[in-house]
Amino acid sequence: MAGFEPKIVGFLCNWCSYTGADLAGTSRIKYAANLRVIRTMCSARIDPTFILKALLEGADGVLICGCHPGDCHYVEGNYKAMRRYPLLKRLLDDYGIENERVQLEWVSASEGKRFAEVVDNMTEQIKALGPCKVRTSLAFDMAER
Amino acid sequence: MAVQADPRLVAELETYGAQDVLKCYHCGNCTAVCPFSKEPFIFPRKSMRYLQMGLREKLKSNLEPWLCYYCGECSEQCPREAEPGETMMSMRRWLTAQYDFTGISNLLYRSWYMELLGIVILAAATGLGFYAYGTAHGSIHVYDGANAFLPSSFIHAFDWTMGSILGTFLLINCLRMWWITMGRDPRVKVTPAMYARRAWLLLLHFFTQKRYSECDRKGPWRHHIVLMLSYVTMLVLIMGFLPLVQAGPKVNWWVHALGYAATAGLLVTVAMALLGRVRKTRTHYKHSHETDWIFLIMLFYVALTGILQHVCHRLGSPYAANVLYLAHLMGVVPMLVLEVPFSKWAHMCYRPLAMYFSHLQIDALEAQGRDVAETLPA
Amino acid sequence: MENHKIGVYVCNCGTNINKVVDCESVASHALDQPGVVCAKSYKYMCSNPGQEMIIKDIKEQGLNRVVISACSPRMHETTFRGALSKAGINPYFLEMANIREQCSWVHTDLRAATDKAMDLTRGAVRRVVHHEALEKRFVDMCPVTLVLGGGITGMSAALELAESGNLVYLVEKTGALGGNLARVDLTAPYLDSARDLIRERILRVKANPNITVFLDSRLDTLDGYVGNFKTMIQTPTGEKVPVDVGSVVVATGYKPFDPTPVKAFGYGTNPDVITSFEFEKMLRSGNIVTSKGKPPRYVTIIHCVGSRSEEFHPYCSRVCCMTALKYGQEVKSALPEAFVYDLYIDMHAFGKGCEDFYKQASTIRTIFLMYQKNTSPQLLPAGPKDDCGMLLRVDDRLCGEEVDIPTDLVVLMVGMEAREDSAEVARLVNISRDRDGWFIESHPKLDPVATTTEGVYIAGCCQSPKDINESVAQARAASARIMAKIAKGRLEVDAVFAEVTQDDCSGCRVCNDLCPYSAIEFDPDARKSSVISAKCKACGACVTACPSAAIKGRHFTDEQIFAQIEGVL
Repeated sequence: MAGFEPKIVGFLCNWCSYTGADLAGTSRIKYAANLRVIRTMCSARIDPTFILKALLEGADGVLICGCHPGDCHYVEGNYKAMRRYPLLKRLLDDYGIENERVQLEWVSASEGKRFAEVVDNMTEQIKALGPCKVRTSLAFDMAER
Repeated sequence: MAVQADPRLVAELETYGAQDVLKCYHCGNCTAVCPFSKEPFIFPRKSMRYLQMGLREKLKSNLEPWLCYYCGECSEQCPREAEPGETMMSMRRWLTAQYDFTGISNLLYRSWYMELLGIVILAAATGLGFYAYGTAHGSIHVYDGANAFLPSSFIHAFDWTMGSILGTFLLINCLRMWWITMGRDPRVKVTPAMYARRAWLLLLHFFTQKRYSECDRKGPWRHHIVLMLSYVTMLVLIMGFLPLVQAGPKVNWWVHALGYAATAGLLVTVAMALLGRVRKTRTHYKHSHETDWIFLIMLFYVALTGILQHVCHRLGSPYAANVLYLAHLMGVVPMLVLEVPFSKWAHMCYRPLAMYFSHLQIDALEAQGRDVAETLPA
Repeated sequence: MENHKIGVYVCNCGTNINKVVDCESVASHALDQPGVVCAKSYKYMCSNPGQEMIIKDIKEQGLNRVVISACSPRMHETTFRGALSKAGINPYFLEMANIREQCSWVHTDLRAATDKAMDLTRGAVRRVVHHEALEKRFVDMCPVTLVLGGGITGMSAALELAESGNLVYLVEKTGALGGNLARVDLTAPYLDSARDLIRERILRVKANPNITVFLDSRLDTLDGYVGNFKTMIQTPTGEKVPVDVGSVVVATGYKPFDPTPVKAFGYGTNPDVITSFEFEKMLRSGNIVTSKGKPPRYVTIIHCVGSRSEEFHPYCSRVCCMTALKYGQEVKSALPEAFVYDLYIDMHAFGKGCEDFYKQASTIRTIFLMYQKNTSPQLLPAGPKDDCGMLLRVDDRLCGEEVDIPTDLVVLMVGMEAREDSAEVARLVNISRDRDGWFIESHPKLDPVATTTEGVYIAGCCQSPKDINESVAQARAASARIMAKIAKGRLEVDAVFAEVTQDDCSGCRVCNDLCPYSAIEFDPDARKSSVISAKCKACGACVTACPSAAIKGRHFTDEQIFAQIEGVL
């Protein structure tokens, strides 16, 4: 897949992961330019339909980031995200969407470096997979509903 | 091997004139500005450190203080006013005492009362001795020829006797210096061929003080070389040609012109040094140990009385000449006895030796294929 | 549908953005998007001329939505919302695209960064169309403050507030006020007595009728929001006292590092190896002695024990260097004949008077040694000829030699670490901790005493190691922030919260238990849930969970996020 630059949509919680991503910036840590970040107040707000919507719109991957378990600004919002995630993965499996395309990672406000590593890793994995081919089948199925 | 620290060494060096040693925080500015500080002899910072830590044996076998001519740049650049230049100076005094096997040097450096007492005793003994000899063998009113108060043949013989004794002391101290800095370190293997090949360095550094001339400031070197050459000229004239020098009252220009030049050189340079130390005009004049004063004052005194007795003799006043001659000897003897093997004078030998040894150390280590910077000083 | 007129403003941030992102191209790309009527690239959007340009455009061109592609919204969202208000439109008609922290500062490829900046800007353009006018909310500000921690920091905060006429509850976990400073003898670099500093504070705290001190007590629960916290304080009798406060100052301090795990020094087994706090105790009693009861001839002070180490704490504990120099002074004044060795990794002498203090230490003949980071000097028994109790083998970096120094007493400069209960405190007051356990401030430079939870402030060493003057400055800064709020009386809070569309609610009550703030109440008669907006903190958990999609998360609606997803792709 030479020259393939995937587009990845990232949903980041405001307090930990978005701040962590900002910290990567203020620390001038370089990482892959493939992520498009959308900010939510808490990872608990990240609706599974957001992820499906992103894949439907042509994203090659979706990254969900929240505070580490036990560290949520809203006490336990990240546990809600954590519990929704496997259910969503089961659904994605049915559509033949590879495991690596949707990832959940915990990034705290002080982990700018880790955020950059997460983005780089995921970009590499998606590059290896190639473009997401399920867009059409997903679109068909959504239309059926 | 770990070496044990001795926190009392700093206080010991302070009796030799070290000041503010513990203020140094090892920024290394002194070493960076020193034009002589090159691998493997990085100074003065490393010597400062050995001293601060009290690593006595390391400091003892260290040649670096002798490689420094005290231009004063380091002390001027020091942000902590730790006076590295003066510390190097005090280390030279301390090393002189370490090389001296009699312990007299130690006594003289650490107590100026002792030094003064030594001078007074020696001066008195000299005065009485020569007076007794003079009155027994001649007349104080006769300077030259038969019946002379202090005949040149006698003084000449006395000079050679004293010179031999002092020279022996100095030679032993020089050998000790060799042992402490070179001989006892088994890691540095200097072959006889190396000693022979580099021997010319001794003469070079003795007569030209080439290294001093490489300091950024040339003034102090010019001053020092005039002083040293004047001194050596006088020494050669007296030790080699005393009967000719003393003869008169006619001026023998072949001999005396040299003597006048040397005396003028001595008087002017010593006066300049004294004035400098009074006014503290240069960094290396800022701090004066008691021994610095005594050496300069005695040298001036000796040169002055020497020329005065000579002049009195030429002007046809043998009595005044003899009295001044006696006064001259009362200065020369204590000065030489105390200074040659035990004090400041000895640096005339130690410095060229240190230059010589430092080259030998580098030669030896290079021959052994060892990292010079890692190994020295032992 | 209303006619949207969107203005897009691409900030160059000097060269911060422009050197990696082609701002002109981003602006012209934005101009091609539907609804965009003007798009500009400008050097500094946040500057006065930048803001005035936006205000002018809003007024003259009748813009009703604004997109700013610039720094992180965490940096300047408030600034630009202010500009919108000034121009007479609702401040929530703004969306920011983060093309600095998350684009120009983290990428090097000009093409890729510019493409990304275009995508992010497009996402913002699509999203802003769906923004709704939100009205400000106001809540009452309770003028009472809860201060956690009775050390120098907590007491200083309490005094500042109380002396301005405000009520303060000061909760101290131990049985006495004073904290760690009460264990210290003199302070660096001016050698003031810590006892005097502390005694003055304690007397004033005790004498002030506005301060209620709870000793041997702790915070049990904290609910509510800025200006309206409801807390429970557990007293030593086990009783729980309810206290209503408007603000909280967390000043819980630190714990000294326990050097037992540092094997090389034999702390805990060798009685002549003591910590700095144990040495303070000796200094306070005026009796510096070894375990044999004799005054030491050689005192060795070792810096950075537990600090600046890969094995223990990576950070610098900030105060130990000057404290170590102070020990040199105190030993020399008590035992003029004693030798003081000071072993450091680096000497950190920043701050007023500290460099002079360092120089002074050399003048009084403290002997300094430099050892290497992540190595440890080794303690050895003294030889029969030595006049000391032990030898310490140090690889001295300044002379490159392994040196054995004589010593009778070894003082370990133990660093500061986060208290064991810091996680619990963080959870109670809902603030975050960094990887070392210190509480995280809202912004390290611009907002150092506030936290991500509005109304909760941090001060002193619970935030990171610091010295007394910095701790007191933070305490007073936090107090000043609180007094500014008290002076206003009513607080404006974010207009972002969740609301239930009553017609769509099926009354399933899924959301009721989900809300961490119990902000959703159920009306059993109507069989509908509704959100108490003042209690809601807008996490959006209920919005996502509602099976009927009856809950709307204001400013983070499904439509807005969907539009943004479409936009960025």
